[in-house]
Formats: sequence, structure tokens, C-alpha cells
Amino acid sequence: MSRFLELQNISAGYGPITVLRGISLHLDAGECIGLFGPNGHGKTTLLKTISGLIKPSAGSITFNGTQIVGKKPPAIVNAGLVQSPQGNTLFGEMRIQEILELAAFTPRARPHRATNLEKVFALFPRLDERRSQRARTLSGGERQMLSIGCALRCEPALLMLDEPTLGLSPRLKEELAAAIGKISKTGVPLIVVEQDIEFLMELTNRLYLIEHGEVVREIDRASTPDHDEVMQLYFGEALH
Amino acid sequence: METMGRYTLPVLALVVLAFVPMVVEASFTRHLFIIAFIYAIIASNWNLSLGHCGIFNFGHLTFFGVGSYTAAIAAKTYGVDPWVAILLGGPAAAVAAFLMAAPVARLKGIYVVLVTFAFGQLAMQLVLSQSDITGGAQGMVRIPYLRLGEYSFLKDYKLGYYYVALGLLVVSTIFIKLVIDSPFGKSLKAVRDSEEYAAARGVSVSRQRVMVLVLSAIFTGVAGGFYSIYLRVASPEVFGFGTLSLALSMVLIGGAGTIYGPIAAAIALTFATEALAGVRGLEEARFIVIAVAMILVLRLAPGGLLRLFEPLVPKALRQR
Amino acid sequence: MIDTLIATLVSGLVLGSLYALMASGLSVVWTTLGVFNFSHGALMMVSAFVAWTVSEALGLGLLVGIAAGTLSAALVGIIIERLLVRPFYGDRNMLLITVMTTLAAMIILEKSALIIWGARLKQLPRLIEGEISIFGATISAHEALLVALAPLLLIAIWQFTVRSTVGRSLRAVGQNQESASLIGIDVSKAFAIAFGLSAALAGLTGALLGSIRFITPTMGSEPLVKAMIVVIFGGLGSLGATAGAAYVIGIIEALLILWLGLYWTPFALFLLMIVVLVFRPNGIFGGRE
Repeated sequence: MSRFLELQNISAGYGPITVLRGISLHLDAGECIGLFGPNGHGKTTLLKTISGLIKPSAGSITFNGTQIVGKKPPAIVNAGLVQSPQGNTLFGEMRIQEILELAAFTPRARPHRATNLEKVFALFPRLDERRSQRARTLSGGERQMLSIGCALRCEPALLMLDEPTLGLSPRLKEELAAAIGKISKTGVPLIVVEQDIEFLMELTNRLYLIEHGEVVREIDRASTPDHDEVMQLYFGEALH
Repeated sequence: METMGRYTLPVLALVVLAFVPMVVEASFTRHLFIIAFIYAIIASNWNLSLGHCGIFNFGHLTFFGVGSYTAAIAAKTYGVDPWVAILLGGPAAAVAAFLMAAPVARLKGIYVVLVTFAFGQLAMQLVLSQSDITGGAQGMVRIPYLRLGEYSFLKDYKLGYYYVALGLLVVSTIFIKLVIDSPFGKSLKAVRDSEEYAAARGVSVSRQRVMVLVLSAIFTGVAGGFYSIYLRVASPEVFGFGTLSLALSMVLIGGAGTIYGPIAAAIALTFATEALAGVRGLEEARFIVIAVAMILVLRLAPGGLLRLFEPLVPKALRQR
Repeated sequence: MIDTLIATLVSGLVLGSLYALMASGLSVVWTTLGVFNFSHGALMMVSAFVAWTVSEALGLGLLVGIAAGTLSAALVGIIIERLLVRPFYGDRNMLLITVMTTLAAMIILEKSALIIWGARLKQLPRLIEGEISIFGATISAHEALLVALAPLLLIAIWQFTVRSTVGRSLRAVGQNQESASLIGIDVSKAFAIAFGLSAALAGLTGALLGSIRFITPTMGSEPLVKAMIVVIFGGLGSLGATAGAAYVIGIIEALLILWLGLYWTPFALFLLMIVVLVFRPNGIFGGRE
């Protein structure tokens, strides 16, 4: 049976430091999965490895039936596997509209250039209001929206979100969660890294708990519906 | 035992160099050694700011040039004894270093490169514009030579100059080693490796930079003074790109941050460029060879060539 | 008195145009890669020599020569990027190392030019003959062309980085390489484009300068040093500030020549620069790096 995305025994790190130790996980078409676990245990590194920013030292990643280990990030983005990085790291001196226009850069995204800009503005009206502002003037939540907006402009077949609600006020968090829910409803499969378990539980079908660069538990919502159990797992095991 | 081991190789090298004139009588070969010693002083002192302290200083040759012109003007125009004139190069260069350090201490990154480099150009333009004093683009010639009592250093195929140059190199090297081994020298390394950490420990980065630049200028200036008195010529060429890149390649090829690496590289490269100059058709191409060597070292052995041989060399030469 | 002043301002404008073209090329590479290209002046020289060979030695005409010179400078620039800059991306000491490798590239190019073309002075004919009078000050038509072309080229580069997708991608790469590659921008291609563009600009400037000054292996050094003063004044971060500083420096230089004479001017210029830096460590116009 072929998976939409499948990671087998991925190990990776920065230079001599190993962060990921033999991670295997998968995502089937139409699914949303969540990654959670304590900070600094490899979740962002995992996304970067899938995106091709970090070359794994071992293991394989297949996307849509093709091996993508060793491909450069632009090729992976062009295949439809798109990551929205944490929003504080965009192009500070460029204007919002410029950035979003630029984001439809790949041959894959180019034909939809005109239409999907309006979709992004419809999803995030705040960005619409701030079209001509420079990115560095945006608030944390708005930067997050811009980051997701850029990813949407790439016409994702699979979208990876890295802590989209990190450090946001409850009101903004809700706004973003709603937007992400809308994206999910359009049929784009998601991989979401989050600290907020409630949010993940609502959004995703399955969760992976990642600790010390390994998958320590896989939770299928269909077989483990007990919310308290998951919470206990998280706070009981992850934070020791 | 440990200390003996550390000094064996440098002392051995010194003994060999001290006996070279007994074996080598050709005036030209001795001349090459003298030039090599001068470059060794320039490169090893430059390394103090560039390698040990991590200041992107591209104005080091300015200190040499200031020393060179100070000695030339003192000896020729004011009739100062050439021995004193040579020594005057040191304080003059130190003052120049202090003037350059004032803006540099506050700058960061590429702006340090640009300003130190521009400072050298400033000095060169001053020399060119003051042709009444400095001889302008022609430079100064027929500068008084060294004497000791009745003995003229022009005699004996440069034997006297050879030992003065070697002596200067030895004193300069001891000076560098004393600086590096002092508590101040240790704080230099801390700043180079982590500016934030050093600042947190209460090390004033600006004051340190000024100190290092001034210290590294002293013997460079004396070497410049000696250069003028020895060659009996002072020329604005010392401020140019050519001298700069030759000295830079010595620091890099020898190993930035080592003590003896730049000295070894200075001697090796002086002879190598001279040998290449002897080959017909390579007179200009030798600079290309050196530039390519510099690039290759940066790509393949970023610590300098000396470090490549580290496993083969006893601790003595590995002293940093 | 007024005539002298106007003549001085016009010659300052010629200098400023030259410096603006040089410095904006440096700025393009700096803002995209964070590299200061010491071989920028040497690229100018390469172009001038190639233009001379094609138009004079081969007799193919000046326009073909200028085009050939510009292209060859772009090509050499891309080779420098690939061989001397690219291997050091991500290195902790990249800034310092690339200063050294591009300095080495400058030596290699200058000495190669000396070997290939020899030390004899060469000069290109002028693209336009005759003289032009601006408010009573007379300059050659070729210099006037340089003055007119410089702002057009600067505006073209500026519009390219602001409007075109490729230009915007260069800015994005300069501001955040990782995020740029996550929207599908090929970072190494962007680097090559930035270097090639900057080198082509140096090449065009060099070929045009070859009709005004003598073509020698070291003809690029003096403009490079002046462009360095410009970027110290204007900062490297923004094209507008860099170009503005170039004109200011050109005019200050011309005024200094008038008041202090040719000999004292460079000294006064450097002194002014150092004094400015003591008070404004990021340059007069440069707010940030």
C-alpha cells in the first residue's frame, strides 16, 4: 500500500550533533497528522529534513511515490510538499503584497498566480489591510499568517505548519485555528507541529509524540479517543 | 621537560639561522634571508590582530609604511643616527595604530575591513601629497646606512644586516609570545571566540582592540624602519595591494592564530617567490601562483599549512 | 567664479556617476550574499581590455567591443562566485574569507591582464565624438553619456529588484535564505545571478571608462577604493543610499580638487571619512547594515 508521505528510519542533525534518531512516520491521502512533544526534541528539525533544508544521514522519505531524500528544497516545494516556517523568520524589508506575489515562484504555482492571491487575502483579511506594509512591522500573529499565506501560494499538495499558534494571544490563536481548519477542509493534508494538544486533537486524525529525536508513541484518535489519556501522556511522560 | 620540548624546535631553528651566514656567503641569498625576516616580523605581528584577536585588520602594512618613512625622514632629512631612526619607526607606527584604532574599535564586520583598508590609502595619499618631505611617488633614496663605530654595514656581504634582522625577528617573536601568554593575551582569545561571553565577563572589547592594534604595530614599525635603512630606499609601494596580499598570504598559509606558522611561511614564500622570479616568463605570474596558493589553503587547509603537519610535529610548533 | 563652480559641479557629476555605478554593483552582491567583492574593480579592467581587443585589435567596432567586455566581465564574475565564494557559504568566517579570496582574485586578474595585454597604455575611442556644454561648463560627449546613463542604469536595477520576480527573489534570498528556499527559490542560482549582474555592471562601467581614462591592469583599483569610501559613507544595505552617497562623494571630491588641489584631495577625503565614522559608525545615510 502506498502512502502519500512516508518517512523510514530518518536520522539527521547539524554537523556532528544528531537530533533525529531513526524516525518513521507516515501520512495517507486526506489525513491530517500532528507532531507534539517537548521543545528542542527535533520537531522543527524533522520538518526541515522533509523540506530538504537538512540532509538526513540515514533513512528514506517518499512523497507521492517518489524518493525525495537528496532533492533540493525548490524541487520539493515544486512537487507540492510545502512548509510554512515559524513566522518570525520572513523577509523583513519586503512589503506584504510583494512577498505574497513572490511566493508563487515555482512552475507549479505560477499558473495560479492571479487567483490564489485573493484566496489568501480572503482567508487572512488582516494581511489584505496591511498589503503595503513591510513584513518587519507585522505582529507575531500577522507574521504567522503571512508565513502560512506564502505556503498556500506555493499550491501545496501537502502543507506542513511549524507551531502556527506559538506565543499568540487567545483571540489570535482562535483566528488562526479557524483559518487552518478552513485550509484543512479544502482537502489539503496537513502536518502540524504544535504544543497546544487541544488544538491538535480537534484538527488531526493521528498524533506522534516525539522525544529525544524519536517517535515514542503514535496515537490514533479512532482507537484512543480519550482526551484525558492523551493529556496525561503528554504531561506525564513528556515533561520529566 | 615539557617546557624544554616546547622550545626545542624554535631554538633549533634559531641556531640553524644563526649559522646560515657561515655557510651562505652569496650576498643575494643573505639579502633574501633579510627580506624574509622582515616579512616574518610583519606577518607574525599582523597575526596578533587578525588571527589571535579576530580583528579584520587590513591596514597592517600601514604600520610598516609609517615606520619605513619615519626612519627614512629622521635619518636622511634630520640626520638622526640610523640606529635611532630604526627604533623611532616603532613609536611612530604605534601612534598610527592608535589613530586607526579609534574609529575601528566601534565598527563591526565589513566596515572594519573597509576602514582599515582605507586608512592605508590615507597614509599612502599623505605620502604622495607631501612630496617635499617624502619624495612623493618617486620615494626617498640614498638614506644613510648603518654603522657601528668605524664598521660600515655595507661591508662583508650584508653580514651585519643579517644579524640585525635576525635579532629583530627574535625579539619581536619573544614579544609576541609574551603578549599571547599574558592574561591579556588569554582574554584576546576569549573575545575572538565569543564576543558576548567576553563582554559578559567584563572584558572591554573596544579597549582591547585598541591595545592589540597598538602592540602589533610596534615591531612592525621597527621592521619598517629597518627596511628603509637597509635598502636605503623608502617607497610608497609598501602601502599597495601587492605588499598587502603577499603578507596576507604568509599569515594564511602559515596559519592564522599560530605563532611560528607565519614566520615559517614568510621565509618559505620569500624564497619561493624569488625562485619563481628567476624563471623566465614567470616574473609576474609568481603573484598569481601565490594568490592561487592562498585560495587553495583557505579551501583545503583553513588552519594554515602548518596545521596539516600537526600530527607529525611535536607540541613545540603547535603552540598557539 | 560662478563658471568655475559650475565646471567643478559638472566634473563632480561625472565622478559621482562613475562611483554610483561601481558602488551599486558592490551593493547588489552585498545585499544578496553578504560578500564584499574586492575583485569588482578588476572586473571593470577585464571588460575594458576585452572591449579594446574586440573593437581595436579585431576591428569589430566599439559597440560590439563594449558588449563583449560587459559579457566577459559577467562571465568572470560568475566564475569567481562559483570557485572563490560558493565553497565558503555557511562558514563562520565567510565574510573574512571571501574578502581574502576576492582580493586574491583581484591579484590574479591584474597580473593576468599584465601578462596578456602588456604594460603599454591603451585607450578606446569615444562612443560619441564632440563636446557638450552644460550651463557653460564643457565636457566631452562621452562623459555626458556616462552622466546620462548612470541614473538610467540605477533606476533600471532598482526597478528590477522591486518589480521583477527574479529581482524580488534576490532580495528575499538576501534577507532570509532558508525562508526563500522554502517558497521554492534556488538560493545558489540567485547568488550566481547577483554576482553576474554586478559584474556586468562593472563591465559596462569599465568599457565606458576605457574611452576616458587609460586602460591599464590596475585601472580598477582607484575607482574601487573610491567606491569603498562611498559605501562607508552610504552603507551597503540600500541601493538608494549607496547611489546618493556616490554623487555626494563625487561632488565633494571635485570641490576639494578646486580648493585644495589634486594632491591634497584624496587625503582630505579619507580624513573626512574617518572623522564621519567616529560619529556615525554606520555611515551618514546608512541606518543599519
